Parts: sequence; structure tokens; C-alpha cells
Amino acid sequence: MDFENYELTRRQLIGHGAKGSALLAAGSLLAAPGASAATRKFARAAAATPKKGGTLIFARSTAPTQIDPANSIIAGDIYTLDKIFEPLYITSAAGKLTPWLATGYTTNKAQTVWTFNLRPGVKFNDGTPLTAADVVWSIDRERKNTDGPLSFLDYAIKSIKADGTDKVVFTLSTPWAPFLSDISVFANAILPANFGGKSATAFWANPVGTGPWTLASWKPDSNITLKANPHYWQPGKPYLDSITINYVSNQNQQILQLTGGQAQIIDNVPPSNVASLKKNSNVDLSLFPSWQTDILVFNEAVAQFKDVHVRRAIAHAIDTDTLVEATSFGTAKPGRGLFPPSLEYADQDAPALSYSVSAAKAELKKSKYPNGFSTKLLISGGVEKWSEFATIIQAALKPLNIDVAITTLDHAAFETTFQKYDFDMFIDYAINDISDIDEMASFNLDYKNGGSKSYWSSYNNPTVSKLVEQAEGEFNTTKRAAIYKQIQAIIAQDVPFVALDYPPYIYATSTKVRGFAVNPGGAYRLEDVWLA
Amino acid sequence: MIERAVHSIYDSYTGRRLLAAVFVVIGVVIAAFILLHVVPGDPARAVLGEHASAGAVLALDKQWGLNQSLPDQFGHYIHDLVTGQLGSSYFYHENVISLIGQRIAPTAWLVLFASALAVLISVPLAAIAASRHDRFADHAIRAGGVVGLGMPAFWIGIVFIEIFAQHLHVLPTGGWGNSDWQHFEGLIMPALTAALAIIPILVRSLRVGMLEVLESDFVASARARGLSERRVLLVHVARNAVIPTITLLGLNIAYLVGSTVIVEQVFALNGVGYLLVDSITNRDYPVVQGLVLFMATAVVLINLATDLISARLDPRIRLR
Repeated sequence: MDFENYELTRRQLIGHGAKGSALLAAGSLLAAPGASAATRKFARAAAATPKKGGTLIFARSTAPTQIDPANSIIAGDIYTLDKIFEPLYITSAAGKLTPWLATGYTTNKAQTVWTFNLRPGVKFNDGTPLTAADVVWSIDRERKNTDGPLSFLDYAIKSIKADGTDKVVFTLSTPWAPFLSDISVFANAILPANFGGKSATAFWANPVGTGPWTLASWKPDSNITLKANPHYWQPGKPYLDSITINYVSNQNQQILQLTGGQAQIIDNVPPSNVASLKKNSNVDLSLFPSWQTDILVFNEAVAQFKDVHVRRAIAHAIDTDTLVEATSFGTAKPGRGLFPPSLEYADQDAPALSYSVSAAKAELKKSKYPNGFSTKLLISGGVEKWSEFATIIQAALKPLNIDVAITTLDHAAFETTFQKYDFDMFIDYAINDISDIDEMASFNLDYKNGGSKSYWSSYNNPTVSKLVEQAEGEFNTTKRAAIYKQIQAIIAQDVPFVALDYPPYIYATSTKVRGFAVNPGGAYRLEDVWLA
Repeated sequence: MIERAVHSIYDSYTGRRLLAAVFVVIGVVIAAFILLHVVPGDPARAVLGEHASAGAVLALDKQWGLNQSLPDQFGHYIHDLVTGQLGSSYFYHENVISLIGQRIAPTAWLVLFASALAVLISVPLAAIAASRHDRFADHAIRAGGVVGLGMPAFWIGIVFIEIFAQHLHVLPTGGWGNSDWQHFEGLIMPALTAALAIIPILVRSLRVGMLEVLESDFVASARARGLSERRVLLVHVARNAVIPTITLLGLNIAYLVGSTVIVEQVFALNGVGYLLVDSITNRDYPVVQGLVLFMATAVVLINLATDLISARLDPRIRLR
């Protein structure tokens, strides 16, 4: 029995909907062993004409608890509601911002007034047309909801107003480069103003959105069924008549349902099962790059880790190539820097402290702890990967006489503990909810404004904070890239974290499934999926 | 007056059992509350996401009463319980009772189905073993039981799936399905898996019970009267073996209810066992407390019913 799925129910695995273009997805696949199978699949999808009709059965590791975009942070909620509701922009499978319910935008010179043009002819699934008033109401509702897990993303918005029925004007309190990314988050999806005149209870029982799917039934003890929205704005889509999402949290059961023909898509495939699934001629395996980096976090409030030489020594001592080989079965890429390569502005050539035991020993000699010390490493239980990482790190630090005791806590306890700064080191992952690198940069590196004291590491470099802030107001992409390059060069030497690996999303599908793609935020749109 | 009432409750067998049952439920409720709250974990953080400000987390903690001292929280919990309120789920934004109601069907049917299978399989096996005392069939059944006990439920479940779903394609791999027929199909392997965990225990105890009866005077006299062996077994032995069967089954249903948590995971049945695991992971306190109370009450009621039925069938029990 395993409970690995809860990792998914925890964090902002946010759906910004991917356009799901088969070709885009194929272009962005990781160059990992699984990719060849996926490429094969997408080549087939591109070659054939989509077939209409049929029902897709998805054995998914997460189930929804509720589907209000303004109140969701759980994966099961997000990846259900993003089929029903859509935002003005989305992030495509290739990770690019793509106009969706808006066709485009214009800004004033100061970049503080953004005017979005709504896509003509978009209707809600009850047939009523989408208007600017709906956009104003929906985003106001989201940003003013203090309990909204993502309302912070709308912090730059000062006011929103409709300009006629097809234009929406956002006034920002400051020039804010990540704004388009923020607007693309599922939480900023558009609902009919005032719930279309219904009570909230009536609305959520029978939700109305512009998305390709409508909620047909929701049985908490069994499954969710989504039916094609007859008013959908993309002509001819969705291809399928309906989708049934079965909640299957046990990974073994998921795999058996797929190989037994009971399900056609499964998510969250464990890397250890990749090899055997690839041998199955009825199964296609797909790896999609994610905006995720698994990281080792140091607590700089602890004397040993305040010492940059100790952090650098540890970075030198961990061989991420071997670590990835041993734990991901060839699915992940070894970690180099904090930002995953799938993220725009992540500098592939950023300097990193490479694996070298002698360099590690030399660094430690320069520290106040040349003879090593004893310390603790905190991890979340239930997920094999974390304990494997911990064991490898424990062994890697032995030559430095750094004696590591591993503490494993169940996930909720683990989170509470590190968020109280009660740790020496812990292993977790940095993840982006939106396509803009600013989220990770500010949350993980900006001690001053990020909101988490640099992901609870207490890493505080005022230069980095200033650069993060500077990048937020920089609209020139070349200049912005230069700022992030500078940030990455600094943190490569400061080592607030050790990047361990960049894991992909691993999905397995029946070979009959075509056009399935996942964006780097973890969202998948299903209007492009069809069954051969 | 009160003393006399208490005495009269205590004097009656039913009253005594009821009183004990109430204390067990209260004990379980207290233990669940303490266990749940001493383990660290922050539901507000889970609901709000880790970007949430400390202020937002505190506000939600206040709304849920989690900022109060543990004794105060316990007081409110008990107060709500007494007034019949189990609260609302932090995640589902739904009343705990209705949440349990939505998920009870797979679990209830699983327990019922497994109990029925356990009886249908155990009784004949025990009868065969007892009537072939110390012969091959007896040894085979007893050895099979020991092997069965050694195999964990999740492993047996996976073996069943491999055979019946993956190779023979006669049963679904898992899930509850949408129609009555699919529910039934979906329950066969899980119910058998759950039943197999208690069948060896049932068989062993029943066999011993039947052997005792077989060696008793009234069986000897029945035989002496020239009754056929079949009649002796069916009428005299089986009837007397019913009581220990009921008692044992009652006790083991408690075990079955507990094992549904694992069996539901293995077969992807989204019953209350599944809900319990998710809710513990999420620290959805009202749901976990509600479910623990619900399961404890169910187990206690089943045990109580067992005691009372046995007492009715066998007056000697009432005097013990």
C-alpha cells in the first residue's frame, strides 16, 4: 500500500490549462528515455485525423473536494475545475502563454494599464455570451477573497473595469512584468457574473463556464463524468463525447487498471514502473517537463549552515548525476541550479558547483567546521524518492565527517515542522504555479518580500532581493534575462539550496489515446484528446 | 433512586452490555481527539497553500477554533457531539454526516459481503475438519488456514487482481462502477480478500467448538438412538455450533471494518476507509473525528448485537 498521491494534493500544482497541441508537446519533451515512446505517440497523433466521439476513462490519483477556482489549491480540485472554467490566457503544453478567452491586450506606456480584448463569440455552457462584466466580476471575486490560496497573484491589480462588452481594463498599482502569467492562472478563470443570477449553492451544483466540458455527474464514492460543452468556442472540439475520471490513489491499482484495459490514462506513474510499462505494447508512456526542482534546503539560522563554506562543501559532495540515475530510473534530469530548465529565463549555462569530493573537503576546511559536525535531515515520509535522496546525501556527506541523522515525519507534520524553522536541512521541491520565473525567484530567494524567508531557509542576500524586485518591473526581455542570469550566478556561489533533480510528470496512456499533453505546471486540457 | 436505577441497569445483562458499549465509544472519541491533535500538522496551511500569509492562516485557525487551547477545543468538540453536530469538513466544505453518507455504500456492502462469504466458507470447512478429525481433510484445512493467515490482505488482493482481472478478464481490476451489477462485480474480489483474513480464525474456533459438541453426551446419545451421522451433524452439532459462530463473527466484523481501510485502497473503492486515509493525510479533523466515532459506534453496536443474540440463544451466557 502506498500513499504517494498525497504529494499531489498538497502543493500548487496549478492548472493553467495547456493548449494541448500535439506538436507543441512533442517539441518540449524531455530528452529522456521515455520520450521516444511519447514522440512516437505524438507523431501518430499528428499524422492522423482526429476521430469524434467516445468516452475517455481516466484513473486519476486525485479527486476533487470542491471546484471553486477562487478557493482551490488541491490538485484534484484544480484539474477538474480547469476543464469547466477558463481564464483569459493559458499556458500551452510547451509552457508558452497563449491567448484564450482574450485575443490579446494593449498596455499604456507606463505598463500600468492593461486592456484585454475578449474573444468574440465565446459562450458559457448555458448558451449565454461571455461579456466584460463577467471578467470584472470573476477576477474581483478572486482577488478580494482573502482565503483564496492564489489571490496573492492578483496583488498588483488596483482596479478592473469593463469597457463596453468586449474590453476589460486592468489598472495596476505598479508596472508588473509577471502580470500576464498571473492572469493565466486557473484561479483567475471566468464565471458568469453573480453566478448568472443563481445562488452559490445552485451554481456549484450545476456549474456554468466557458470550458470544453460540463459537469454531468459527480459521485463522491465513484467518479466524475464530464460531457462535451455543445457551445464550446473552438469549432469541432472537444473531440470526445465525455470523460470519466475515476479516483484511484493506489499506484499499483492505477497501473493494473491501465494494463487491464479498464482505464485509458493514468497519472503519477512511479519511475520504478517506467521500464516495465514501456515494454507493454498496449501502453504509451509520456514524460512532460515540469516547473519543479527537488531541493535540499539549509537552515541558515543554524550556525553550521550560516557558513557559506559548509553549504558549498555539501553542494560539491553531492553527485546529482548518480543520484538521478539511482532514483529516477532515467526519467529525471540531474539538478544544476534552482530554476528548472523548462522555465523561461532559467540559465542553462549558469555556473554550478560540480561534484568533487576534494573540492568539497577543501571548502569545508575554509569553514568554521573543518572537522565536520553532526546534523539532522528532515524528510516527508511515504514517498520513496525522498528517503532515497536522504540516504544518498547521508552517504555523500560521510567523507566530510558530516554525520547526518535522517528524521522522517508524515507529510502534514513535516510541513508544519519546517515552516516553524525547526530543522537543520530538509528535502522538498520548489515549484512554479505560473509560467513566470518571478514566482520561484521571489518565493525562494527574496527574503524581504517573498513571504517565506526564502523558502524557510532564512537565506538573506539583499542584492538578490533587489534584483528580484528589479526584474518584476522590467518588461524588456533581454534586460530581464540579464537580471535573472545575475541572480543565478550569485546563488550558485551562495548555495541557499542544492538542486537535486528536475523530475518530469509521468503519464501512461492506452495506445488508442491521441493528443494528450501536460503543460509544465501540471495541467492538461482534454479537448484535443481523441480515441483512435 | 438513581442508585436503584443504576443497579437495575447493571443487574440486567442488556443494561450492562449497553453501559459498557457507551464507555467504549466515549473512550475511542477521547483517544481519537488526543491522537489527532498531538501530532503536528496544520489544516489551514494545507487549505490556503504555502504562499498564504501568517495572518490568513491565523484567521482560518480562528474560524475553525484551532487557535484555542487543546482542552477548550476538546470542550467544544464534546459540546457539539452532545448536541448532535459533527461539524463540516475543512476541505469539502460539506457536513461530515452527509460526507460519510455519500461514501458509506461501498464500505457497508464490502463488510456485509465479506461477512456473508466468511460464514459461507468457514462453516462447511469447519464441519468437514471436525467430522474428519485428525484425518487428511482436517490437516489440510488447518494447514491452509495457517498459510492464509500469513498472507497480508493487500498481497492477496494483488494476486486476485492478477488472476481474475488481468489474465482471465472476468472481473474488473477495481473501482465501484456506476450500476448495481458493476457494484456487485467490483465487490467480489475485495470481499473475498477481506473475508480471507478472518476465515482461518473462524474455521479454527468453529472446528474446536464442533469437536467439543461431537464429544458431548447428547451427541453420543443421539448416535446411540441410531440417528444417521448426517442428521447428528446437521441437527445436533450444527445447531450448537451456531452460538460460537455468531460470537466469533461479531468479534471479527470489528476486524473487518478496520481492514476495509486497506482493502479499499487496494481495490480503489472510494468508501469511508478511503475517506479516512485522505482525511488523516490532510488533517481534516472534523472528518477524521466523525469517521472514528462512526466506525467505533458501528463496531460496538455489532458487538452488542452479537452479545444480545448469543444471550438470547443460550441463556447460560446471561449469567456469566
